[in-house]
Formats: sequence, C-alpha cells, structure tokens
Amino acid sequence: MYASAVKPGLVFLLSLVTFGGSADAEPLPPANQRFQSAETEEVPEFQRHVVPLLGRLGCNGRNCHGSFQGRGDFRLSLFGYDFEMDHEGLVADASDSVGKRIDQSEPANSLILRKPSLEIDHEGGRRFTQNSWEYHLLHRWIKTGAKKSAPSQELLRLEVQPKEMLFSQQNQTSQLQVVAVWQNGDREDVTPLCRFRTNDDSVAVVDRNGEVTSTGEGDTHVIAFYDNGIGSVPVMRAQTSSRFVPVEIGPEMAPIDRFVVTKLNKLNITPSQQCTDSEFLRRASIDLTGTLPTSQEVREFLADTDRDKRLRKIDELLSRPAYAAWWANKLCDFTGCNPQQQAELGQELSVQWYGWIKTRLDENLPYDELVRKVVLARGRSPQQSYEEFARETSGYFRDDPSAQFSDRETMPHYWTRRSMQKPEQAAEAFAHNFLGIRLQCAQCHKHPFAAWTQNDYRNFSRFFENVTFGIRPEDRDAYQRIAKRVGMSLRGDEGSPIRNDALRKLSAGTVYPWRELYIKQRSEAEELNLLRSGTVELRRETDPRQPIMDWMRDPNNPWFAKAFVNRVWASYFQNGIVDPPDDLNPANPPTHPELLAWLSNSFVENGYDIKWLHRQIVSSDTYQRSWRPSHNNREDQKNFSRQIPRRMPAEVVYDSVKQVVAASDQAEEVRADLTRRASGHLSMRLAGTYAMRVFGKPERAVNCDCERNNHPTLLQAVFLQNDPIIEQRLENSGWVQEMKDQEAEGNLQSHRKLVSEAWLRALGRPANRSEIEQSVQFVQQAESVAAGMQDLLWSLLNTKEFLLIK
Amino acid sequence: MTISRRRLLQVGSLGASLTLSDYLRIASANGAVDSGRSAVLVFLGGGPSHLDTFDMKPNAPAEYRGQFKPIQTAAPGVRICEHLPKLASRADQYAVIRGITHSLADHGLGTRYLMTGNLPTPVVDYPMYGSVVSKEFPAAPELPSFVSIERPVEGPGYLGAEYGPLSTGEKPRYGQPFRVRGITLDGTMTLDRYRRRRSFLKDIDTAFAGYEQLDESVRSLDRFSGQAFQIISSPKARAAFDLSHETDREVDRFGRHEFGQSMLLTTRLIEAGVRFVTVLLEGWDTHQDNFNQLGRELLPNLDQSLAAMLDRFSEQGRLDSTAVLVTGEFGRTPKINNNAGRDHWARAMCSLMAGGNVRGGQTLGETDDKAQGPEGDGFTPDDLAASFFQNIGIDPKTEYQANVGRPITLIRDGATIPGLLA
Repeated sequence: MYASAVKPGLVFLLSLVTFGGSADAEPLPPANQRFQSAETEEVPEFQRHVVPLLGRLGCNGRNCHGSFQGRGDFRLSLFGYDFEMDHEGLVADASDSVGKRIDQSEPANSLILRKPSLEIDHEGGRRFTQNSWEYHLLHRWIKTGAKKSAPSQELLRLEVQPKEMLFSQQNQTSQLQVVAVWQNGDREDVTPLCRFRTNDDSVAVVDRNGEVTSTGEGDTHVIAFYDNGIGSVPVMRAQTSSRFVPVEIGPEMAPIDRFVVTKLNKLNITPSQQCTDSEFLRRASIDLTGTLPTSQEVREFLADTDRDKRLRKIDELLSRPAYAAWWANKLCDFTGCNPQQQAELGQELSVQWYGWIKTRLDENLPYDELVRKVVLARGRSPQQSYEEFARETSGYFRDDPSAQFSDRETMPHYWTRRSMQKPEQAAEAFAHNFLGIRLQCAQCHKHPFAAWTQNDYRNFSRFFENVTFGIRPEDRDAYQRIAKRVGMSLRGDEGSPIRNDALRKLSAGTVYPWRELYIKQRSEAEELNLLRSGTVELRRETDPRQPIMDWMRDPNNPWFAKAFVNRVWASYFQNGIVDPPDDLNPANPPTHPELLAWLSNSFVENGYDIKWLHRQIVSSDTYQRSWRPSHNNREDQKNFSRQIPRRMPAEVVYDSVKQVVAASDQAEEVRADLTRRASGHLSMRLAGTYAMRVFGKPERAVNCDCERNNHPTLLQAVFLQNDPIIEQRLENSGWVQEMKDQEAEGNLQSHRKLVSEAWLRALGRPANRSEIEQSVQFVQQAESVAAGMQDLLWSLLNTKEFLLIK
Repeated sequence: MTISRRRLLQVGSLGASLTLSDYLRIASANGAVDSGRSAVLVFLGGGPSHLDTFDMKPNAPAEYRGQFKPIQTAAPGVRICEHLPKLASRADQYAVIRGITHSLADHGLGTRYLMTGNLPTPVVDYPMYGSVVSKEFPAAPELPSFVSIERPVEGPGYLGAEYGPLSTGEKPRYGQPFRVRGITLDGTMTLDRYRRRRSFLKDIDTAFAGYEQLDESVRSLDRFSGQAFQIISSPKARAAFDLSHETDREVDRFGRHEFGQSMLLTTRLIEAGVRFVTVLLEGWDTHQDNFNQLGRELLPNLDQSLAAMLDRFSEQGRLDSTAVLVTGEFGRTPKINNNAGRDHWARAMCSLMAGGNVRGGQTLGETDDKAQGPEGDGFTPDDLAASFFQNIGIDPKTEYQANVGRPITLIRDGATIPGLLA
C-alpha cells in the first residue's frame, strides 16, 4: 500500500479570482499616487514593486532583457519571478563604460534610471520621464539600499473590479482596479503595477493603465497579471438589433441550453433554428460513431414520426460498437498513442493500446477508472513471476492467442514509450493528457499566463523519476535464460527491445523476454509539491502515481474532469468551452464558466459516465442547431448560437468513401465491419499513411490537441479529385459493377432511383427535384449509365456538403 | 496560424487566371518582398560516409581512411573522392561544409534535426524547409509550391497541413510513363471527362449557396478545390511533370537510373516555377560492404546527376536563383567495422551547398585527422539550416505564431556559416 496523502493547501485559491464582499481594510493606495512626489519616505519593495514595475515597463519581455541572451549585457528572468537572478542582474557591475547599473552613492547616476528616461542612449527607447512616479519609485529603492525582498512572499490572490463589463456603445470606457492580497493580510491597489491584455481586440482593448475601451460587439476577457497572480474580467457588448427577442428560458429547458441561451440573451444574439432531421442524423452519426448513416437508415429515420426519435437515435448510436471504435481514436489522441514512440514493436503495441481503450469504451467503464488503469499500470500483477509475465505477454502475439491484451487489467504502454523516459517529458505529457494544462513553458521560465513557476515544474517532474521500464535486478537471471533461448543479444542490465523479426516466432508460440514497467525504490523519502495543490510525502517504496491519481479523483480537482468534458465538447463544436481545449489556464478563461462547471461537476456526480456526457451534449438544442445563421448570429464564432460546419476527420473521410461506393448487399457490412474501418481495427495500421497524413490524422508526437488537423488543404482537394485511391474506389466500386451487370442484362433500376440512392449514401439526405433532373440528364449524357454514375459519385465526393459536418 | 491563413486567403483571392509573372508583380507591388528564389534539397538518406565522399583523410591509418583515393578538383586545395570526377571538375560551383556535428545517431531523430534545423522535442513539431518556403514564397496558383519526389522527408509541423508537400508517390523510371500521385490524369481519365465531372460538380455543389463566405471551412474548401482543378488540368503543371518532353541527350546527361530521372524531374519542376523540391537518394546506411555500395552505384549516380543539374541550372542562368542543399542525417564511423562497413556517427558529417549566393570552390570547417569530430566547435545542423534559409532569402530569425501558445523563432540556435555566402 502507498502511504501518502495530499495535504490540501491554500494554494488552490491562487488560480481563482474572488470578488469583493470581504470586510478587509481599505487597500494601500496605488504606487502611482504614493510615488507621485519625489519626497516620499516610503521604501519600495523588490518583489511587490520593483519587479512588477520592470514587467509593466516591458523590461523583462522576450525581446528585451528577458531574452535568454539578455540585451546590452543585462538579463532579467523572462516574465519575472526569479527574484534572485533579477536582483543579481540589477546590482551586478555593468560592462558599459557609461556607469553602474545601480549607483547607491549617487542614485540618479544609475543606468536603470538614466537609460529608460533617455538621459543617455537606450535601445529600448524611453520608458519613463525623470519626474514620473516610476522614476521616483526606482530612485527610492536604490537610495534605500536596493534590497532584495524577504524570501518568498506568497501572493494569495488578485481581486479585480468590476466583476464584468457590459458596454453598450463604441469607444465607451471603463477602468479596472486590481488589488493584491498577500498571505500576511496586506492589501494593496496594484493597478499601475499590472500588465494587462485583451483576448480579442476586435471587442475591447485595454491600455497599460487598465482602462478598457469597447471596440466592437461581442464578448471577450481582459486579463491582469501581477506577480504570480492572474485575474480576468469578462467584457461584453450586446448586438444592436431591433428584431431581437430574447429566448424564453422555461423549466423544461436542458441545463446546457439554459447556460448557452442565458448568455446569448445577454448578447442579444438570436440562435439558429434546429437543424433538419437528415442533418441531425448525419451529424450525430459522424460525431458519435465516426460513420455515415446508410441510405436505408436515412429513409427510416425520416419516415419515423415519433417525437423522441432523435433521443432514441442517440441511444442507439451509443450502443453500437462503432461508437467505442471511433471514440477510441479520440482517446488515443488525448493520451498520445503513437507507433513511432513505442519502446518496441511500434505497430503491434499501438494496435494493442487502441484495442484496449476500445474495449473499455465498449464496457462504458467510468472515465476515472479507465484513467486509473492507465496511470497506475504495471507490467505484471503482484503474484506473477517473471516467467509467467514473459509467457503471458508473448501469448498476445500468438496465432492462437493464449491471452488477449484487451483483457488486461491495466494498460502499460502509456508509460513505456520512449518519449516518457525522462521525468520532465513524462510530467509535461501527463499534465497535458489528463489535466489539459501546458507546463512546458515553466521548464525555462515562469509561465507567462499561468501560475506555474520553474519550482512547480521541477517538483512535478520528480514524481516520475522512479517509474521504470526495464528488468528488475532480481529478475535478471530469469531474463537472461529466456533471452539466451531465443538468441537475443543483450544491452546492459536494462534489457533489450524485442525486434520486428521476432514476430514470426512469437506468432508460432515462442516465449520472448519482455522488459517490464515497474516502480523502482526511491533513494530517499521526500516531500514534493503537487502542482500547487498541497504537498505529498513519498516514501521510498511509494508508487508516486498513486497520490496523483487520488488527487485527480478528488471531486474538487480543478482540472481532471474539466479537461475531459471540455475536450469532448470541443469534438462536437468548432470550439471548446475553453479553447484551445488543451490549454486550461486562468488567462484563457472559458466562454461559459457556469456551463463548464456544471458539466464537469455533473459528470463527476454521474460517476464519470462517458455515455452520460455524450448524451447530454448531443441531445441538447445547442448541439442540434442548424448551420444556417439567424437574422443576427453570422458573426458569432464562440457562443454556440449555431453549428459551424466542420471538416470530417481523416478516418471518417476514408471510411465514408468506401461506404458510398459499396455494393448494395455490402453496404451494411462495410459500415458495421470494424475490422475494415480506418476508425476501427485499422486505426493504428493506417496511421502515418499518405491518406491519413493528408487529412490530418495526428501523429501524436507532441503534446498538443492541435495535431489533429481538420482544416481543409490543397492536398486534400487534389486527393479527392484525382488520387489513385479515389480512382480505384470508383473503378472497383461494387455498386457501379452492379449497375454494369444490370445494364448488360437490361434490368437496370430507373436513373432516378440510382441518383436518389447516391444522394442518400453520400450526403445523407434525399435529393431535391432540380438535383434529380440535373443528375439524370448528366448520367444520360455519359457513354454508359455506369460511367455516368461513376462521374456522379466523383462529383458528390467532391462537394463541400460531403466533406463537411453541417 | 491566423496570420498565415489570412495571408493565404489574400493570395487565393487574387483570382484564378493570373500568370506567374502577374502574381509576382502583384506580390511585389504589395510590398511582399519576393526573392524569386527556389530551392532543391537532395537528401542522402541513411547517413553517407563523410570520409568516403567530401571529407577524405588519406593520411589516416588504413582502418580509417578506407580504399578510396582523393582527387584534385577545379578548386585549388579542395579534394574529394575519386568516384566523383564530374563534381570534381565543377567544384567552383559549390561549397563543401565539413565538421557539422550533433549527437542524434538515429535515422528518425537525425533526419528530423537536419530537415528542420531544430533539435527535435516532444513539445514542438518543427516544419521542414520546404513548408517554410511554400508559406513564404507560394508558387503561382496552377502549380504546387512544394513537391516531394516519391515521398516527403519530414512534414510541415506547426505550420499546418496546408504547407505540406505534394508527393509524387513514386520515382520516375526511364522508359516508363510517369504518374504523379494526384496530378497526372490516368489512362481512363481524360481531360474532357475530368472537366465534365468538374462542371457537374459546380452545378450540384450548392448546399451553401448564399453563404459561401460565411465560414472559413466553406471558403477554403472552395478555394482549394478550384486550385486543385487548375493544377490538375493546367497544361503547364502537366508539362512540368512530363519527362517525355526531354531529349534523349538530356535524359542521358542526368542518367537513366531512378535518381537521374528524379533529378531531371526536379530540374523541370524548378524551371516551371515550383518553389521547393525534395529528392531522395537512399542507400547510404552502409553497415556492411560500404565501399562496393558507394563505389559501384551511389557515388557514380550522385556524381552524374548532381553535376547535370548544376550544369543545366548554369546554362539557363538559373543557378543564382536556386539554392541547393545536399545532405544526409549524419556521418559514419571513421573506423571501418568487421563487415567492411561503417556505422552511424553523428559527431562529424558534411554537406554541400550550391546556387544562390553560395561562394563556390571552397571548403568551410574541418575535422580532426581521423574525421572523428570537428576541429574547434564545428557547425551544427542549426547553422546549416540558418545558412540554407539565408540563401533562399528567408531570415532564419523569422518568428511564427505556432499553436503551442508562444512565438517560435524559425531557427533559434543557428547562425549563418561565416564566409559561405557572398
């Protein structure tokens, strides 16, 4: 058993911004007032005043002294927060012959005053004048000894007022006020010491003093940065629309729709109508199962008069094996399943990984359990000997498998990838995969948009130090014996990879010596800080992943459930509620915070039931809106007032083309037989092939959800118009062959029927009259009906309507 | 990424009927400085032995120097392998860069490093040279900007799939009709039939009628579909890929082998206005039988075809506007192994640069007496990349807004190799 517990700390609060309501004393007035006069007696503080001032003036920016090479021989830590280094840099002798950076005997001679006030040349230009409060503040600090601060004062939070800004006209302004609250109870108005940023300058801009100006209709956030704190304020300006009538929010409205509509009402945006039944069927089938509906299914669905037919269809889709298959692709994206990075037998191991997840989704295993089985995975169970382990693992590869990998209790391949062997890389990947946060910036400098410091990064990395892939010392003899039997040459004590040429023998039943995922003892017990959420005591024998897993499953965990529900949401719309979906940080706030909170809390309350989550989203009015704009939502890109057309993912394009051209009696099989599907068993076999690369199937080589690229490109157009794969599909189309045969026998179906069927297959809707007329004419002009239909199918596959989920 | 898409959109909106010169005129009138440069990357996949090509050590012990002899070249003081006589007599046209050093003696990682000029990391997926060029200097609408013969060498990385290469899927073979994946209209598909399909497509692709400009996905599908049609149906693009336009004399000058035909195709593509071409010569991973493999086939083929390409570019006055880089992913072990082969060695390798502003007829950098490592610090793949970009006319310190949440400098750590460029 592990013996550690997360000690909850105050630090949780740091990432939150709380507003008003406290009975605290009046804050200290802002520095621009207190240092207005040169005569002040106040002693400025290094961490609280000097470093933030340098940040606000831009001195520690990336292109100035914050550059890793410094500027003009003077370097500050990028975005501040390395107080030791910054202090050393400031008090050190400048190589510049014009004087000292800091001259305590004659403060006004200090370069840090003379250069930014342009008394002497400064490549960075004028940052302040000689009678400014900035000048006075720095002057006072030098004069009073240019002291460092007491070690590590913790900023508790930033309080930003007002809570939100609602503008009604162009160029209207509003002033932000930011109060810093320190752990010792000090409160100070730090507005003039903050850096500010707008997240969308077409809606609002913010100047360096925190004055916000409305520049357009819509909504965004302005962000304040000070010390290690981040505060955000939503800024909105409603549309001016005389025809706007708010949507009534009745008691029967689903929670998702309630949150979305509430905000739309605030912005005066009228949402689009509901989509048509055929649009719904095609959209939901692709999003839930990665599959086009068959023509028969479209006909039946359109003919169904039941009011609840959409809900019934959702449940039916969720119960299909194709649901598990398609979403296994997505979970492989989120967790980084990549044949190139496997420790050995890349192709086979990634196929096992995919298959294992697919089986879990089929069982609808709760998300937290699924993750636990990945996070706490080990090579073998405690009772198993090394020989048994080697036999079992080899058995997965036999022609007549003695065991199925997907039946394994845990899935170790996540940890055994080559990209997980360095603790730092493991930490970054882990944070990205399961928490939706990007730690990597903090490897080299304080994270510019999040609270992460280099210390947080190093602490978190150290958890992963003893997760080991190799041979336990006590198993080396057993390992050697098996290795010798199969003639493997050995490298060191850590074991060797199994090479591809072993596959033949493995399939015939030979047992190979496998390396194993296990937890090495730490050299000593230690306490580590777990991403600013308390400290964890790790004993020598503790599995360090256990306390992380416990912490993630704590219902109050700020990221674990949120990251997942947001990623799932982002798969159904053009944007996540937080977007990019894998960048949860306080400077990148959700468009609908209450919606995200409700969705993730309810997901947890419902036992992390993944199908529950899908059902909530897909059954909402918000998901089922038409892509056609209402009278005033054309510009809305982020409030979910309509469905924005999205390109089909790579696997779906591949499978859909096959489905469209399949012989009539094969249509159902092509759809349902997952062993032949790019989103099914072929998922990892096809990874990296030309078609998959062209359509943006992710390599999963870097920690970024953006690797799955669903943007249209020129190559995709070239592919669909003239790639040999497409030509072959049309040439060898079972359906076209059928027509040829029937044409020869003289019992061909009517042209109309063929055309209608083509429309249903490719676009999931009946063709309208003019489409049928045009098509029949087109087919009749061809040298044969079969050739004409081939051309027609080509054209359908190249319509925007085919490639887009609308 | 937003910026790039917006820019592409502007280019696309120039319309379908522009010629290359129209496009260049407009581009320069808009202030978009166009260097007019194109580039070729010859990738010697597998890791060519530096000691048996351009960094010979005739005075090293026999188990290092191998069996090949150096010969004099047209450039005083520059000596290269005896199996490269044609290149030797053209040594004034290229520079040899020796003492390039790194530590990734793995084909995948080494290739990634050499093709991007950035040390590979799991955090950022860096773009390959050609993707950067096709972003900065897009070709005329009826031509692809970036072509990879046979298959791509590394991808567009953070620049996004739209800057990926058009790969031909196979190499041209002498005496056989050449089919380019996606570009060539195949046997049963005539231009007429393709046009008919396309015109019917226009008739029925009406689902978004009235809303064509509303969403990015709809807009870009239209734009790319139109451009694809232009490329596939354009006589110019077709002609560029069609080697049957070449005379027997040219075919023989480049060589009837696959690499020769690939180099001939490369030359035609550049002449037509394609901005970046990658061409592969593989087989350099000579763990065994190094000298026979190099001496009988690899070196003679490289010698013939590369010399032919340089000659043809010179004859056409195109060498000054075409930057050429010839490189592998690493060098090979200076000490010959028991199988008469050499193994992976990243501490020392060499590359060739020609065209553009390269000052030919010189060597830059050097290795120690057994070619085990550079004398002094040597150069890094980052330096090589910075130099190549500089020669193409792209500032290696250009910054891109990558989707990893921070701006990324194209080549962060490299500097242009001093003395290489005029």
